[in-house]
Amino acid sequence: MLGHVVFLGIFYIVLLVIVGTLSASVFRAARDFREHREEATCWQATFPDLPARERVCRHVFTGEFKHRICDQAFDCRQCQQHAALVAKRPADAAAQVDRYYHRGHAWAQPEPDGTVTIGLDPLGAALVAHPDSIELPAVGSHIQVNGAAWHLHKRGADVRILSPVDGEVVATGGPEERWFLKVKPDGGKLDARHLLRGAEIRPWMTREMERLHSALAPAGQAPTMADGGVMVDDIAAGYPEADWESICGEIFLQA
Amino acid sequence: MDSHLMPRGVRRCPLAQFLLWILPWCALLAFGLYGAGLCLVKGLNQTNMDNRFAFGLWIFLDLTAIALGAGAFFTGFLLYILKKSELKAVINSAVVIGFICYSGAVAALLVDVGQPLRFWFTFWHPNVHSMLTEITFCITCYLTVLCIEYVPIVLKNRKLRQIPSFLVFEFELHKSMPVLAGVGTFLSFFHQGSLGGLYGVLRGRPFAFREGFAIWPSTFFLFLLSAAAAGPAFILLTTWVVSKISGKQLVRAAVLPLLGRISGVLLIPYVLLKSVDTLVWIDRTAPARGFAAHQFFIWKPFGAWMLFAEILLFGLLPALILLRRHLRQSTGWLVSAAVLVCLGVTLNRFVLTLQTLSLPTLPFDAFLTYMPSWQETATFLAVVAYGVLIYSFSFRYLTLFPEEKDLPQPVRSHETERVVMEPVC
Repeated sequence: MLGHVVFLGIFYIVLLVIVGTLSASVFRAARDFREHREEATCWQATFPDLPARERVCRHVFTGEFKHRICDQAFDCRQCQQHAALVAKRPADAAAQVDRYYHRGHAWAQPEPDGTVTIGLDPLGAALVAHPDSIELPAVGSHIQVNGAAWHLHKRGADVRILSPVDGEVVATGGPEERWFLKVKPDGGKLDARHLLRGAEIRPWMTREMERLHSALAPAGQAPTMADGGVMVDDIAAGYPEADWESICGEIFLQA
Repeated sequence: MDSHLMPRGVRRCPLAQFLLWILPWCALLAFGLYGAGLCLVKGLNQTNMDNRFAFGLWIFLDLTAIALGAGAFFTGFLLYILKKSELKAVINSAVVIGFICYSGAVAALLVDVGQPLRFWFTFWHPNVHSMLTEITFCITCYLTVLCIEYVPIVLKNRKLRQIPSFLVFEFELHKSMPVLAGVGTFLSFFHQGSLGGLYGVLRGRPFAFREGFAIWPSTFFLFLLSAAAAGPAFILLTTWVVSKISGKQLVRAAVLPLLGRISGVLLIPYVLLKSVDTLVWIDRTAPARGFAAHQFFIWKPFGAWMLFAEILLFGLLPALILLRRHLRQSTGWLVSAAVLVCLGVTLNRFVLTLQTLSLPTLPFDAFLTYMPSWQETATFLAVVAYGVLIYSFSFRYLTLFPEEKDLPQPVRSHETERVVMEPVC
């Protein structure tokens, strides 16, 4: 009899562990939604699925590392390595800048009234110029760093723009205004440790342009680079056959 | 046309070519379902099995599929418990293979059991003295685990992941993978072993009967070891085959040799134990049951060559190949060795299932022969087709090899675009 109880008991414990594991996952997912952490969780789930070339650490741009993959999902606020490297930099390199850039091609500009204006950098703006539609968050809603700030639809591509800041939306704009959101940052002050600035921007943008050229190159052929000239306002118009969802996914960090 | 459903950063063949690929498999599946349907509606008289030959093609299929599907639990164990992170490159594929093998085996069992509507009897009225009860419990639980492990892979489909609740659930479920890998290992340890133990305890079948340790006959440990060795070899083989068919580099160059090495390291103790077990059986176990071992091998087409093939050709030889570093670096040697390992485990399951039942056990017994009916064969082929289809769809629309998008890919003719160069002047 004891043997039967032990035998069946073991398997019912296993069943309980399986059901418990599944239930715990459902519970944690529900808690993420309840505590409005779903955007951050989505980004945590997305980041490891990005190709390695998209997950390069910002300190590679400045030559501080030859090769390093970010292990903090682009949230340098949690990164001890980043803090240590910034501390080593000369003081003038950390001088005040007028705007900061997010790896997902949004910029954030602190305003004198304490709000932060958010827009798309030139590359991002040229990729989704003249969008078919825009979904902006409602005034009063809250956005999170690396969560979806707003969505644009263009030629079948649903592009979500990652938020560079944590905060409450106080105003919305659009492509004509050259900014999309004004946000009152959490804590009253912009924490920009995770955003690119100064000397990081040029090498990062050069790298992004290279990635765009690779993405736009016809399959099976080497990417070609423009010899001089300036970027057109609407890149999509120049590539009517391109899979725009894939190209936007590549540049706007969508897995 | 369906590129928006495929993982970003990978290329797949055109939809028409894919449909052409799956068409014959769909036809085979339909044919097999018809055969299985006949067995379910009209009964097991549609098969060539009877009360004397109760285990046939389907049980052989089940044992082989479960052994080859062991890569899922063993890869999960190495990755999540022993932190062998290189195996992240094949874990999704291993889970899909495991899911296919176990669900295919359970589907075949539902037909084989003859009364599929009473499948729950085994849970409600368990015969706790039977190893089959333990196997049923373990396989059912492990298939549940495999389904749960498959869910995150499906939820990461390019379209499904756009639904935030799916992605959040996937993320939270993925955190539990080490627990599920531990449960999978526990369950696999018992059911892989008990599938072998099932034969080892057959006192009335001296060809299969073995002595052992405590309540477990030696076949318990041999099945467990052989499955753990064959699982990684089967993953290696499928990865290579898929890579050849698709023309893509799916994993880094070091991953397949690593799988080969794992398989080789496990094969050595298996071959050693199998040899010792065979010698003990020849010298002591079989004579104690009133048989000289050579008597089992006089019935054609079975012969002693099968025993030597199992141990030397499909055991020792691939183990030696897989343990030599420079041979592992050669794709030809590596894949050949993996094929031999998989054939070895297949032959072992064939011998224990079919040869065991064929051989006479009493003086007035005759040597039994068995040839599966077309309905049995069709059902067998349906499981194969089902596996190919599930894997094909998974490969096309899900991320089975996460490293693929980071690797340089050769370009096939259908992927190139024609560019007309205009003369400069």
